Amino acid sequence: MRYFWILLGWLILQGSLFSAPPQFAPVLPGKILDFPQDAGAHPDYRIEWWYVTGWLETPAGKPLGFQITFFRVATQADQDNPSHFAPKQLIVAHAALSDPAIGKLQHDQKVVREGFDLAYARTGDTDVRLDDWFLVREADGRYHTQIEAEDFTLAFSLTPSQPLMLQGENGFSRKGPRMEQASYYYSEPHLQVNGTISRQGKTMPVTGSAWLDREWSSEYLDPDAAGWDWISSSLDDGSALMAFQIRGKDGGTIWAHAVLRDASGQIRTFAPDQVSFHPERTWHSTRTQADYPVATRIRTGETEWQITPLMDDQELDSRRSSGAVYWEGAVTLTRDGKPAGRGYMELTGYVKPLSM
Amino acid sequence: MHCVINYTIPGMSLTPVLELHNLGKTYANRQVLSGLSHSFAAGEYVAIMGDSGVGKSTLLNLIAGLDSPDSGEIRIEGEHLSAEDEAATRLRRKYLGFIFQAFHVLPQLTLLQNVSLPLLLNQLPLDRAPAMLAAVGLQGREQDFPHQLSGGELQRVAVARALVHRPRLILADEPTGNLDQDTAREILHLIRDEIKANGASAIIVTHSRAAAETADKILIMDRHSLTPASSENRT
Amino acid sequence: MTPPLLTRWLLLGEWRSHRLQSVVAVLAITLGVALGFTIHLINTAAVSEFSAATRSLSGKSDLTVRATRYTFDELLYPRLARYAGVAQASPILEITAGVPAKAKTMHNPVFKILGMDGFRAITMTPDLLGVPAEGKPMDTLADDAIFLSPAAMEWLSVKQGDTIEVSTGAKRVQLRVAGGLARAHPGQRIGVMDIGAAQWRFDQPGQLSRIELKLQPGIDPAAFRAALGEALGPSYLLTESEDDDARIHTMSRAYRINLNILALVALFTGAFLIFSGQVLSTIRRRSQLALLRVLGMSRRQILRQLLLESALLGVLGSLLGLGLGYLLAAAALHFLGADLGAGFFPGVAPRLHLDPLAAVLYFLLGTGITILGGLVPAWEAARTHPAPALKSGSEYTMLTALRVPRLAAVCLLMGLVFTALPPVNDLPIFGYLAIVLLLIGSIAALPYLCGLFFAMLSRLSNPDQTGALVTLATTRLSNASGLAAIALGGVLVSFSLMVAMAIMVASFRISLDDWLGQVLPADVYLHSTIHQDIRGFTLEEQQAMASRNGVARVDFIRSVPVTLDLAKPAITLLARPVALDNPGLILPLTGAALPSGDIPPGTIPIWISEAMVDLYGFRTGDRITLPFADSTQIFIVVGIWRDYGRIFGAMQMQLSDYRRLTGDDHASDAALWLHPGTAFDTVATALKALPFGETLEIMETGRVRAAALRQFDRSFAVTYLLELVAIGVGLMGVAASFSAQTLTRIREFGMLRHIGLSKRQIYRMLTLEGSLLGGFGILAGFLLGTGISLILVFIVNPQSFHWTMQLHLPWTWLGVMALAVLAAAALTAFLASRRAVSGDVIRAVREDW
Repeated sequence: MRYFWILLGWLILQGSLFSAPPQFAPVLPGKILDFPQDAGAHPDYRIEWWYVTGWLETPAGKPLGFQITFFRVATQADQDNPSHFAPKQLIVAHAALSDPAIGKLQHDQKVVREGFDLAYARTGDTDVRLDDWFLVREADGRYHTQIEAEDFTLAFSLTPSQPLMLQGENGFSRKGPRMEQASYYYSEPHLQVNGTISRQGKTMPVTGSAWLDREWSSEYLDPDAAGWDWISSSLDDGSALMAFQIRGKDGGTIWAHAVLRDASGQIRTFAPDQVSFHPERTWHSTRTQADYPVATRIRTGETEWQITPLMDDQELDSRRSSGAVYWEGAVTLTRDGKPAGRGYMELTGYVKPLSM
Repeated sequence: MHCVINYTIPGMSLTPVLELHNLGKTYANRQVLSGLSHSFAAGEYVAIMGDSGVGKSTLLNLIAGLDSPDSGEIRIEGEHLSAEDEAATRLRRKYLGFIFQAFHVLPQLTLLQNVSLPLLLNQLPLDRAPAMLAAVGLQGREQDFPHQLSGGELQRVAVARALVHRPRLILADEPTGNLDQDTAREILHLIRDEIKANGASAIIVTHSRAAAETADKILIMDRHSLTPASSENRT
Repeated sequence: MTPPLLTRWLLLGEWRSHRLQSVVAVLAITLGVALGFTIHLINTAAVSEFSAATRSLSGKSDLTVRATRYTFDELLYPRLARYAGVAQASPILEITAGVPAKAKTMHNPVFKILGMDGFRAITMTPDLLGVPAEGKPMDTLADDAIFLSPAAMEWLSVKQGDTIEVSTGAKRVQLRVAGGLARAHPGQRIGVMDIGAAQWRFDQPGQLSRIELKLQPGIDPAAFRAALGEALGPSYLLTESEDDDARIHTMSRAYRINLNILALVALFTGAFLIFSGQVLSTIRRRSQLALLRVLGMSRRQILRQLLLESALLGVLGSLLGLGLGYLLAAAALHFLGADLGAGFFPGVAPRLHLDPLAAVLYFLLGTGITILGGLVPAWEAARTHPAPALKSGSEYTMLTALRVPRLAAVCLLMGLVFTALPPVNDLPIFGYLAIVLLLIGSIAALPYLCGLFFAMLSRLSNPDQTGALVTLATTRLSNASGLAAIALGGVLVSFSLMVAMAIMVASFRISLDDWLGQVLPADVYLHSTIHQDIRGFTLEEQQAMASRNGVARVDFIRSVPVTLDLAKPAITLLARPVALDNPGLILPLTGAALPSGDIPPGTIPIWISEAMVDLYGFRTGDRITLPFADSTQIFIVVGIWRDYGRIFGAMQMQLSDYRRLTGDDHASDAALWLHPGTAFDTVATALKALPFGETLEIMETGRVRAAALRQFDRSFAVTYLLELVAIGVGLMGVAASFSAQTLTRIREFGMLRHIGLSKRQIYRMLTLEGSLLGGFGILAGFLLGTGISLILVFIVNPQSFHWTMQLHLPWTWLGVMALAVLAAAALTAFLASRRAVSGDVIRAVREDW
């Protein structure tokens, strides 16, 4: 889900103005995902992303949240343009660090066109780069990433500890009531993080646990959607939870979905009517005047999850580049009142309905 | 008559108003003056006569500081007058008044302004100027310009200007040379009356017997000396 | 101190009695200051605007990488982006497009379009980013969209949503105006589009014009620049924004300085006018000043009074001049443009900035020159003995103070020596100094020459035959030559400058016409909408043109800018077929060319323009390498040709050599020879019928010539204007000094009336005097002017514009001007005499004043 819809809204508005707009591949049910091929890029689809979120622990035992994201976006640029600068694919990258000691997000973002080996999303296996930022998957399934942001540098290896998790129906994930409102979607929960963080010239080793989302699609969000709430968590008992709802402009819920995989690999999915979000406490952003439900109760079937933020101000203001403002932050979860683990929550559409 | 009155004023006779010592002046190999000495008593109105080219105007220019002598010295009230420095200029400004044959009235200034010039230069109050113009018979014409005046009127302006700052010595060079006889007589009387009224001394250089005779004393000039005219010459 | 009241009386009195002279003096200073200030304002506005606009194109970049050729391979971009020390690299393709819609009304309607990668440019040139319409953010990447600066929208008369058509060579490109720019430099005409779209739409695949680099913090720019320069080799150029500024200054410097010199000449003439005015005024007031001395004003007071008079005139004239200058500059910018029609600053619309420092400078210059002009006469007046000064007729002795034979001789001699000196910093400083010295020397020598001339004249003329009036006039002129010379100075200065300019312009124009005849041997010339189009015509298009009926032969010419030296503007590389045996067929060679047998095999022959000799030191026979070719390729200079088209230098080579070296087979221009008997219209129609025919600018040779001469006249328009002002100031001077002199001589006229001359005879005598004097002034002015024109033609022009020309004297024009000045002098003398003789002449004698 995520940021993706924002980008779609931003980038793909008047395709008809391009002289010869390319045709994008549709997302259809029944496709068998093939790895490592599908860990690589899918340039025939309009958009896709590599979305890593996770919790870290410093040598002093302090918790930190982080987010590293790479997007590949196909524009509707004319395929006949022989120029190597033709903006056929854009690479967008985004990194954020949540540190309660700082009290707000530190983040950095980049957008460039693919080309000249300076920025690319390769097919075959995960290999994305934007200048000196990269995320690459080794043959053994380990990821390496390095992000030199303005305020911090992240250098991690991410080691899988569980099999990857196909979302929806074997990776076909619906986003709305209509069948074409869907994406291909898989996740890798419980990635072991090892690496370093550098801030203000000081480098420290960190360890932690991360969640990777891979998703690609060519479709738009439902035109009546106002925004969405999304959460993922690698739970302490080795299970993995993902839940989201798409809120309508009328205040109702357009679509909702949740999936819980336990440590043994047993998967339980929840239909839209089995998933509900109940805001408990809101936080007001003085920057954007938005009110985010940062503490929330989520019901999946008979289970009730209580979500508490690592810190309240994890708002990401990207009005300068993509124009979107949303909340994306580290959270802790309790399951029916008992501590269950840590995860990431994303809240969008609280400033104004996303323009489509 | 006038002489008698003047000589009776105590002290005036003790310091001559003007002393010439051994003056010499040569122009382009022509010796104009040589070893000329004379003392002029205060309050005297003296006329100097002499042949053309004898050096009358030169003498006057030397006294006026308009030219400097090759030798000898000139003292006014005992103060040495060298022609070319600022101090001499100040002295001349204060002690001397001039009347010329050619009037020399500044054409772009009004009569009042012309008469006020010496007052301005000596930093004296300007209110004397209208009175002086009235005294020479030009009351009511203060704002006229020189081109509106006749020759006689112009010389009246010059007389007023020469006397307005009450100088000790008036120098007049053929003051009636450009005037007809009647006007000349009028101006001569005016000069004499005003000099006497202001208690000034005067030296008038002239060719005209009639003009000279308005003076207290006539001196005949040659290259070396000033000699009083004999009494039969005077009458 | 003079009492302030007296000072005021004297000033007011002088003003009351001599209004005309005062007004003329003020007017002269006003004009001089106004001209200087105008030119200064326009120049600074144009240059600062142009460099600010140019700098805005590089934004906050630390270093700009260019190639010696117009474009280079884009693969340098990833190399530099990854280069150690580089934080960000922003690739830019600069397209100089044509605007066909403007071609009818404008010569060479160029429009600069920047192809940029907005994602890369955002850190360095954020001001140049396109601002798309609300809800259309993708327009910034669209291949049919362009974003225009406000000035460009105004120039093209379009708004957001409209479509513009621009041309590149034989191709036309329609672009949608998708919006404005974030913050374009005011007045700058520029369009911005996506770099990928620009490469595609303008046929420049794989090409970049420059790469802007932002260095990482802590990197020493100078050391980085040196190291990168080493790594990239001589075919790439690294510049910082200061380098661009310097180049822009160099580019227009010669032109600007020449204009400034002309303005100074006007000021100089004005100063001379003040000088002669003050001389005459002190002569006239000699006895008055003596009287003031007698009444007790000290020398210092007199001097101060006279200088105060000059200063008042100077202050008043300078203030008026500043105001007038500002208005003139505003008007000139509005009507003529920043380059006053000379074409140095395309694409900017400078606004006037009132620079207080410059205003103060010009004010001081105007006032200072006036006071200086009044100093000599004031000094002389204060120094005189009052007694002789009170006597009439003593004026003439004063003029001996103005006799400065040594000064005249030294000035003339030094002027001659200076003509032999080389340029300083590429500027003909000594040439100009020589002109000034000749002028001063001639003016100083004038009393002697005048006396000599009229003494000779009066000796030659027989009183019995010529009559009393002629005798009187010539006698007076020969005896009072000092006074006459003062009136003459104005005529001499203005007429000599007029003659010099006329000869220079005529020489240039005729040389240009001859040159055009030589460089345009074909029957028809054609090019695309603009000159030096980077795309021009493709090989196919060239073949299509060559195969039209009636075309006997076509020479295709490739014309591209090449930068050989960072500090200098780009030269023009012209590639065309040249007959090795007889290059003179198309090149106006200035000396002997190397015989074709002397060209060693493997070396490539080039022919360079005269400017290349001066600017780059190339000589016939030199073997050189050129940065746009392989460093092992040797070129040999086989000849030097005269080029009036490109003052920064041009180089010709064989088209075949060029194509082999660069792989560029496009052509910018074509020269067509028609079959005998084929009409131009037939061929033009046939060419227009080609698929790209609409884009062709086809001209008969005669029209090319006419257009070039029109352009020439246009760029000299300001020169003509300044020339007229100089003449006007000069004639005003003649009028002022004549009327002042005749007033001084009222007594003399009174005497003449007394001895029986009628008023009419006095008019005639004065008019005769005026004509004789004017005639002599014209004669002297002609000689001096010819001398100055020799300096202009053979020293100033070659040194500042690097071209030579042949001397041509425009006899008819000179004759007309001489007659006009003579008539003006006679008329002025006549008018002045009427005033002098009308009134109190008889009285003047009596007053002896």
